[in-house]
Amino acid sequence: MNDTALKNLLFRLADDELITGHRNSEWTGVAPILEEDIALSSIAQDEIGHAQAYYTLLADLGAGEPDAFAFLRDASRFVNAQLCELPTGDWAFAVARQYLYDAAESVRLAALSRSNYAPLAQLARKLSGEEKYHLLHGKTWINHLGRGTDESRARLQAALESAFSYALGLFETPADEAELTAANIQLPEAELRRQWLTVVAPVLDGAGLTVPAGRAVEGGRCGEHTEHLAKLLDDMQLVFRSDPEAEW
Amino acid sequence: MDTQWPLYEVFHQKARGEHHVHVGAVHAPDAEMALVLAKEQYGRRMACVNLWVVRADQIHASDYSDSDMFAHATDKSYREAFGYKVGEKVKKKRKDAAKQ
Repeated sequence: MNDTALKNLLFRLADDELITGHRNSEWTGVAPILEEDIALSSIAQDEIGHAQAYYTLLADLGAGEPDAFAFLRDASRFVNAQLCELPTGDWAFAVARQYLYDAAESVRLAALSRSNYAPLAQLARKLSGEEKYHLLHGKTWINHLGRGTDESRARLQAALESAFSYALGLFETPADEAELTAANIQLPEAELRRQWLTVVAPVLDGAGLTVPAGRAVEGGRCGEHTEHLAKLLDDMQLVFRSDPEAEW
Repeated sequence: MDTQWPLYEVFHQKARGEHHVHVGAVHAPDAEMALVLAKEQYGRRMACVNLWVVRADQIHASDYSDSDMFAHATDKSYREAFGYKVGEKVKKKRKDAAKQ
């Protein structure tokens, strides 16, 4: 196998984490309570750290520099799922997106920890501890809002309805999937999606929520994005692009 | 209406077998959320293997006006390790034992 399919996979993993981390960082200073502000800011730092670790694996494969991946690519070259780039929304949406995303990531990391590409398997095992906390954090909020008041349950259900189709888009089948599965680098996306549903459905059900129906919103893995990603990148890349040669 | 969540006191353990040490408090709606929030407030810098959270209103405390009852009226140094001047004796015994 040439390593293009592997690089594409690493870009998908990294871009999901970078964009999700950036969105979560937008809650810093304005989260509902101080303790949650600190917790979510910390999770955002973890995610951006995970992105950096994946970008470093790409750098090791000669694909370029991590800073350039993050700050010098335009929206059409990002391959994150569209779920990650959706605007911050209300707190219920933050909880819904984060939980659906972290459940997907934990399923993916468990599979990748047995990947045939040793550096990726090693990294997946290393990240699994932080991811365990992210998932616990999300699940605790799902339970709290789902079992809280009528209003909290209704708002969380509405947020799940709007996030769910995009969450299914996390499992968009890439064009080069056959190469990855043949080389035992990653399980098929359809299998990861099946595992994800077995994690998510009982938790939503247990919190008095309904698993939404919906078709996957895809395209993110091919560089097709909502208008929101370009705006996010304008913010995120502004400082770096003002002086790309600066030493930080 | 007071909309503030209840206060949970947080106890941090740095290694198995060590005492849990009180490090602060978090506001949370229940114990489960208190543990989740305490992890990032108090577990993110120091090494940590375990956290306890305890609802602050479940703690029974003595009264500060009674703090005089903790004071010692007479010399109680015999209760303290420093009250026993055995260091020199131990050293001498060791030295003698080494000579033999």
